[in-house]
Order: sequence, then C-alpha cells, then structure tokens
Amino acid sequence: MINDLTLGYLILLLPLVTFVVNGLFLGNRCPKAAATLAIVCNGLAFICAATLAVHYFTSDLAPQKTILFQHDFLTFAGTLAATIGMLIDPLSLMMLVVVTFISFMVNIYSVGYMREDPSAGRFFSLLSLFSFSMLGLVAATNLFQMFIFWELVGVSSYLLIGFWYHKPSAVSASKQAFILTRFADSFFLFGIVLVSYVVQSFDFSTINALSLHAFKAETINLGLCTVSKADALVLGSVMIFTGGWGKSAMFPMHIWLPNAMEGPTPVSSIIHSATMVVAGVYLVARLFPFFTICHDTLKLIMVVGAFTMVFAAVIACTQKDIKRILAYSTLSQLGYMMFALGACKINQVVVTTGWTASTFHIFTHAFFKCSLFLIAGSLIHQVHTNDLDAMGGLRKKMPWTYWCCLISVLAISGIPPFSGFFSKDEIILAAFQSHHYMVFGLALLTSGLTTFYMFRLFFLAFHGVPRHEGVKAGHVHEDFAMTLPIVVLAVPALLSGLLGKGLFEKYFVVGKLHVPTLINHSYAGWIPVAAVAVALVALAIAWFLYASPKAKVERALDETNRSHLYKVVYHKFYFDEIYYAVVRQFIFGGVAATARFIQDYIIEGILAFTVWFTHKLGDLVRTAQAGYLPFYLGTLIVGLLLWRFFGGLPL
Amino acid sequence: MSIPNFIIPDLLLLVFPFVVIGSRLFCNFRSKVPWRIANIGFLLIFLLLNFIPLASGEGRFFICNWRVDDFGVLMREVLIVSAILGMWFSKDYFEHGADGKPQMHQIAEFIGAIAFATFGGVTVVSACDTITFFLGLEIATIPMYALTAWNKRDQLGSEAATKYILMGSVATAFELFGFSYLYGFAGSLHFDAIQSAVAAGPTPLLWIAVLFLFCGIGFKLTLFPFYTWAPDVYEGAPTPVTAVLSVTSKATAIAFLVVLIYGPFAPIQEQIAPLIALLAGATLFVGNLGALKQSRLRRFMAYSSIAQAGYIMVALLGTAVMAKTAIIYYLFVYAVSNYLAFFVFGIIGHHREEIFNSLRGLSKQNPSLAIALAISMFSLAGIPPLAGFFGKFHLFFSSATTGHYGLIAFAVLNNVLALFYYLQLVKSAWVDEPDGHLTPLRLTRRQRGVIILLSIAVVVLGALPFLSDNIFAGFSGV
Repeated sequence: MINDLTLGYLILLLPLVTFVVNGLFLGNRCPKAAATLAIVCNGLAFICAATLAVHYFTSDLAPQKTILFQHDFLTFAGTLAATIGMLIDPLSLMMLVVVTFISFMVNIYSVGYMREDPSAGRFFSLLSLFSFSMLGLVAATNLFQMFIFWELVGVSSYLLIGFWYHKPSAVSASKQAFILTRFADSFFLFGIVLVSYVVQSFDFSTINALSLHAFKAETINLGLCTVSKADALVLGSVMIFTGGWGKSAMFPMHIWLPNAMEGPTPVSSIIHSATMVVAGVYLVARLFPFFTICHDTLKLIMVVGAFTMVFAAVIACTQKDIKRILAYSTLSQLGYMMFALGACKINQVVVTTGWTASTFHIFTHAFFKCSLFLIAGSLIHQVHTNDLDAMGGLRKKMPWTYWCCLISVLAISGIPPFSGFFSKDEIILAAFQSHHYMVFGLALLTSGLTTFYMFRLFFLAFHGVPRHEGVKAGHVHEDFAMTLPIVVLAVPALLSGLLGKGLFEKYFVVGKLHVPTLINHSYAGWIPVAAVAVALVALAIAWFLYASPKAKVERALDETNRSHLYKVVYHKFYFDEIYYAVVRQFIFGGVAATARFIQDYIIEGILAFTVWFTHKLGDLVRTAQAGYLPFYLGTLIVGLLLWRFFGGLPL
Repeated sequence: MSIPNFIIPDLLLLVFPFVVIGSRLFCNFRSKVPWRIANIGFLLIFLLLNFIPLASGEGRFFICNWRVDDFGVLMREVLIVSAILGMWFSKDYFEHGADGKPQMHQIAEFIGAIAFATFGGVTVVSACDTITFFLGLEIATIPMYALTAWNKRDQLGSEAATKYILMGSVATAFELFGFSYLYGFAGSLHFDAIQSAVAAGPTPLLWIAVLFLFCGIGFKLTLFPFYTWAPDVYEGAPTPVTAVLSVTSKATAIAFLVVLIYGPFAPIQEQIAPLIALLAGATLFVGNLGALKQSRLRRFMAYSSIAQAGYIMVALLGTAVMAKTAIIYYLFVYAVSNYLAFFVFGIIGHHREEIFNSLRGLSKQNPSLAIALAISMFSLAGIPPLAGFFGKFHLFFSSATTGHYGLIAFAVLNNVLALFYYLQLVKSAWVDEPDGHLTPLRLTRRQRGVIILLSIAVVVLGALPFLSDNIFAGFSGV
C-alpha cells in the first residue's frame, strides 16, 4: 500500500490538508489541536520525504530523473498542456527533505514562540500552506507548475510576514515583499510565455535539452521588433532569471528581505532557510542546462550573485538588530549560491563543479540558518528586543542555546569540520577552477566578513556583562519547545557537510549539457587552508573588538562618533530611502496620479455620459407612450413608411 | 374512414373549448366541473402530443392542406404549455380580485377563449396556404381582444381592449393587403406554388407584399414601432391575460414568421435579412430602453417582452434548422421563465399593488418567493447557468452561423441594459429594507406547487442543456 507513489502524494497532501483543516475548522476554536495537527502532519511529511529519498538513493535509478506522477489540467493548444506532477531527481529530493524537515522543526518551535498569541491557529494553518507551496515548487515538472507554486509561495509569505497585521510596519513590510517579488515575477511570467512559445513546451526536460542552433534561422515577432528565436530564448532566460532575482532578493531587489523580519521569527526562519528565498537559486539550478546555452546569462547571474554577496556582508557588519544581521547574512549566502551557479561558464566552456557546490550550500545553509533564526527568536523572546545593545551575558542563562549557536556560527563561518566549511569551500574552489579570480577573491574576502559579523553577533549576545535589566534580574530561561528544535538542528549544522559531501559529489551532477564541458579541473590544495586562515583572522578581530578582556564593548556599540562611511553602510547605503523616494515621487505622484485622473475624469465621464444618455432615451420611449390612440395608429403608418425606406428591401 | 393518429390532438383541441363551455349548461356556476374538464383536457392533449414521433421529414398531411411537421408539433407543445400555465395562473383571479380590480367570472368561457387562441396558433403552424394561414392568425387574435376586456367592470381593461382591437384591425388590414399582393404576384394561394414563384424571380409586387406582411405581424410580435399598444394593453388587461398575451400571442406571431421565412420566402431570405436585422435591433433596443424607466410590474413586463421579441427575431437570420431549433428552445425557456415571473407578481398583486415597491424586503418576508423571483429574472436576463442563458446563446448562435456579428454584438450589449433593469427587481427584493406597511403574503397550495415546478424547470433546462439537443434530435433530419 505504502509505495513510492503514495509517499509522493502524501508529501504534498499532508501540509495541504493541515492548511485546509486548520484554516477552516481548528484554527479559531482550538489552537492547541491546530498545533498538534501541524506538527504531526509535517512530521509525517518529513518521514515520507526521507523514506522516498532513501529509496531513491539506494536504488540504481539515482541520479536519473524520473516523474512520479503527472496530471494534465489545462490544455492550451495542441501539445502545449499544463500539468501538475512530481519530478524526482537528487536536487528535488534534497529540497523535499530539507523543506519538510525545516518545516517540521519550525512548527515545533512555533508552539513555544506563539504560545501567547491569540491567533496561533491561523499561524499554523499558514505555515503549512507555505511549506505546501514550496514543496509543490520544488517538485514541479514544468515551468507552469513552478509558476503556480511560485506565486503561492509569494502569497503565503505575504500572509505570514504581515501576520501581525495590527503593526503598521509589518503590513508595509509584507506589502513591500509581495509587490517587489511580484514585480520580478511579471518578468518571470513573460519569460515563461516567451520560452514556451518558442519551445512549444513547459517541460523542464524539453527546455533543458535544447540547443540554440535549431532556433537560429527562425524568427518571431515580439510586437516591437522581430528577432531570431535563438535571441528570444536568450531574452527569455534573462527574464526567467529575473523572477529568481527578485525571489532570492539579489541586489537591487534585496530590500524586502531584511524588512520581512517584521513577521514572527519562525516565519523569518523558514523564509530564510528553506522556502522562499532559495526558490530563486533552485530555479536557476533546475534550468541550469538551459542557462548554459544562453550566451552570457550565466555571467549576469554570477555578477549579480557576487555583488550581492559582498554588499550584504558589508552591511551586516554594522547592524545592531540581531534579525537584520541574520537577514543580510542570508543575502550574502544567497549571493554565494547564485554566483557559484553563474561562475560555471568560462567563455564557451562549462565547469559543473559550481552547480554541485551551490546545491550543496543550499543544503547546509538551510540547517544552520534556520537554527540561527530560531536562536535569535529565542533570545528576542527572552529579552523582548531585537537590539544587540540590550543583550550580552546570556551564555550562563541559556547554555543549550549558547552551544548550538556556537555550532551554527562556526558552520556559517566555514570553520572545519562544521557543515558550512565543506560547501563554502567547494564554492570558492569552483570560482577558482572557472578562472574567475576576481570573484574568487571577493568570495574569500566575504568569507572573512561573514566570520566577523557572525562572531560579532555571537559575542555581543552571549558574552560580556548583561546590558539588560531583565537579564540582570535573572528573568531568563530556556523554553523546551523552542530549545528542542534548536538542539536538533545543531546536529545537521555540525554534520551535514561531512556526511553530505560524498553524496553530493557522487549524485549531484548536472544532466547532459549541449555545450562543451571541461572535465579536468585544476585542484588547488591551498584554497581550504587560505579560506580557514581568513576566517580565523576575522574571528580573532571580532574577539579582539567585542569579547577580549580589553574590549570596550560600550564604545564599540556607541554610534555617535562614527565616520561618514560607517553611517552610509549602517543605513544600508540608503537603499530603503531611495526606494521610498522613487515609489512616493514617481509611482504614487506621477504614474498613479495620472492613471487616477484618466480613471476619474475620462473613463468615469464617458460612463456617466452613457448612463445619462441611456436614461434620457428611456424617458423618450416613456414619453411617447402617452396613451393617445391616434398617435398609436399613426405609428403603424409611420412604421410602414420607415421600413419602406430604411428596411433595405429592394423596392 | 380512419383518422390518422397525428391529427387526434388537433381535433381534441378543436372540440375541447366547446366541451368546456358546454359543460356550463349542465352545472351551476359554482361547480368545479368545467375547471376539472379543462385541466384533464389540456393535460391529455399535451400527453398525446408527446406520442407523435418526430423526424418526419416533410411532415404528414391531413386532407392535403393540414401539415403536421416537427416544428409544428413542438410549437403545439409550447402553445399547450402556455395555455396550461395561463389557465392555472388565472384560477386565483376567479376566486378574488387583485391589484385593485374586481373578481372575474365565467372561468369556463375564459378557458375556452384561451383554447381557441391556442387552436389559432396550431392552425398557423399547420397551414399550407395563405387563407388557412391568415385564418389561424385571426383565430389566435380575436379571443385575445375578448380576454383583454374580460373584466367588464374594469374601465382600464375596456380602454385597453378598444386600443387593442382598433390597432389590431389596422394590422390585419396590412396583412390582408400583403396577402393579396402575394396572390397577385404568385397567382396561387398555396405555399409551394408561392415558393417556386419567388424562386423564379422577385418583382416589386413581392417586395410590397413582404413589407406589408412584416409590418402586420410586427404588430402582433410587438416590433418597433408597432409595439405601442403593448404597454397599455398589458397594463390594462387582467394579469393572467397579460401572461397569456406575452407568451401565446408572441409564440403564434413568431411561428407565423418562421413559417413564412423558411417556407414561401426561403429563396429571398438573404434579401430580407437586413430588414429582419433592423427590426430585431430596433425592437430590442427600444424595449430595453422602455423597461429602464418603469415602476409598475406589468408595464415593466410588457417592455421586457418587447425586448425578448427582438432577441427572438435575431435567430431568424440563421439557417432553417438552426433557427427553428433555437426558437423552439427559447420559447420553452421564455414561457417557463415568464410565467414564473408572472406567478410571483400575481401573488404580490393578490395582496398588494403591482409595483416595484411592493417587492421591498421580499427576501426577509418570504425567502422562497424571492428566490423564485431571482431565478426568473436571472433567466430572463440570460445569466448562466440558468435556462435563459442557453436560450439566448442558441438564438445568437443561429444568427452567427450566417455571419451577422454586428447585430449579435449589439444584442449582447443590450443585454447589459437588460441586466440593469432585471437586477433592479432583484435588488428590490433582496437588498431594500422591508416596508412595514405592506400586507403579508400568503401562498395557496397550487401557487406554491407551480412556483416550485417552474423554478426547477428553469434551473433544469439550463443545467441540462443537452436536453435541448434531445428535443431537437428530430430536426437534424429535416
């Protein structure tokens, strides 16, 4: 009865059922039952995903692609049909396991975190919708299904970021996230339309098996200009990447992600680790063979990724809000994944190590980033503020959290043998192997920055003397439901790199490519050493500044006597302000006001006139009906003459 | 001599009014015998009609001059359904007065008159020559004049009947004039002979005949600008007569046009298409405009039925099979929806004045009645999935097959107008606050039963549009 097919259906249906049942029935009346159902169903989904993964990797099928099930639901024209299905290959299975696991952990955590919230039922319902959407996205067999779930992810993130809708900041953050990603999604949709029109298919297998030569001769009309189909495909690939660009919050569409921390911390945790933001990276990874044939699209991806990586890391070094630091660190890490994918191409030749490295980093990053956010949530729950100013000295009060946090921070810093070391090392190696030395240097630098700001956070939060009255008074304790997932997540944060390396190197290979592939890579043994050395130096600096006995923490946190450069970085290069200026002045003041004018005066005017005129005509008909018999008899004669002359009869 | 089976319903229908009226001789005026005989008779005829097999090709002939074809059989069914519903509807008005008018008397003669009018309609669809054809139309019309003035003590009714008969006479004159020219043109009264003469080549004589015939029937079908009698007569006549007028009279008139256009005039259908299109477009536009500004229910229904006539005309632009199919289906739908509306208005009228304001707060006082009202209005407005939508769809589709897209677009736009005023009624019933001064409504068992039956019929006819395919399976062979 329980075969792989059933497991596949269960993975998708369990969160969906949770969403429906909690949303319609349990949510309002019985939040405890809703929480239990959410934990049980998501736990079962994780077990299903894990079982499926074990089956797959132990069978001789791996690493081939297979489709577990597929249903047509919308036929557009001829062979072009939209289907909903489940694609199984190492990448999608890895994502299924990660998403269900993270979702399971976050659900457990939320029991503690949302304990006093009156609308906890709604929260559990939406959380399940979120993981359902992401599961559908990673299991997609075609672009159309991916887009459907892509949008569902957007909607559920909107609902969750704005979960505390009584807070104006949460509402504006959720709007910002939704509108900005929707803006990117519109390009994505355009890309899908363009590519599916040229290729006549939505299927990943078809799109990934293309080669541009077949399309060089034919042309299509884009309305504004006529281009060859090959160029249209390249344009489509850029458009599709733009969808991922916005979803993964790459520069300059990054501003929504740090602001999205207005939602409850479990939401930030799941957004940053498994569901929302990695969707963009996943999209690029999924369509990687397609991107390789599209000229310089990969170079664009690399530049965007690398820039975001450095840019976010620099900002993270100055922030004081604990969730904001983590948000920028996510941006930076996403930059790593993105540029690793983009860096795979050297002129016309492709090196696929970056792909493996990037997917590996998705995997490891999910665990430690989720863990870090949950830890931040725990701290905030105890200290009641996001500000590092008010923390410090929590090591003794929260020992479990302290040690787990250390593991995760070491993991993200890339210190062996923690998980981040392996994946980050592979990414840096991939940059080196593909001869992108500039990016390689930036990656090393960012690795140091990462270590610095993470340890800055770590030391300021846990070490030193308490700077908060509550902590001093001892009102701090560890909540079991919240600490349990943190401890559980510490295990993969520690081990997933070590254990996963073999698996990833063996199975995570891109399928057949239609471009020349470089097989013999140069290997540089000094790179891991260099990376670790940079990280250790950064660690030392952080220790010196924030944790050594001589460190002047008060002075380090004081921001009155800072250079201009520091202030610019602290204000995130004023990007939020630039966005607001553009939106207020240009969109609201210019475009929206003009549209409103047209709507109010021209369209409504025409409409009002039509209504008025119709009513006048109605009055005319009514007036003619005066009950005067001679007039009526006259109409018969007039009618006869009327149709004699205007009836069109050949008389 | 043996009588063929297919003629039996017609003969029964011919004898039927005499039996009903005659039964009055043998019982006192309170007796229910005539009412029962009428019920049994109509239902029996309807039942027998269903036994006539369809798909008969050219049709069957009785004494060479009485043709029963598929269209004729289905039209008979429409007419009988309308007569039965009209009879049921009228019963209450013989028990007590309504809408400020006194109680009516002589139900047997009333039903007899309806039966005569129905037989007139049957004659129209069975005729093979212009004399029978004209007679049928007159048999269908003359009882209507009498029915309009049924309430002798009601001055408005008498005024309405006077207007009706005067204008009707002029229209009849037009028709006779047209028929005389037609005879002059073709040299024969028989349809087949006329058709071959028309096919041989039209002359101005024929066009004059066409013009006068269309103007004459335009009166019956309430086409623009010959509709002027309709609002006054609908308003002045007793409510059940209004209902019968709006369905039976309209069905007869449209059958007249169908027989003419797809019979003798078939060879020149293309040349008269512009006239049909103009008549249809002008009629539905003016009907909709008129309905926009009404506040009295029956006057409103008059304009609504004028507009509906325009919609039905649209189908006449199509090919024979398509048009007949669409028209028959639409007439069924129209009869059912229209009678449903009239039943609701009738119940309102028994207790209140028949104006829009009487509907206020209906959804709170009597939800089932409000639902029935909404169903009939949405169906008349043509909202899917109710029957009215599919009916209109067939009508437009018929016309679309010959490429009259401009007219269809115009008709569909007009539907927006129609939706506006139909929705006003629904709004009165569902949105407006109840008015405390309105007398409460009571439904008799018969009223409730008929309303439920009709509501279900409207929904089912729409929900099972394939039923229409079954009904018209017979036509595909024509």
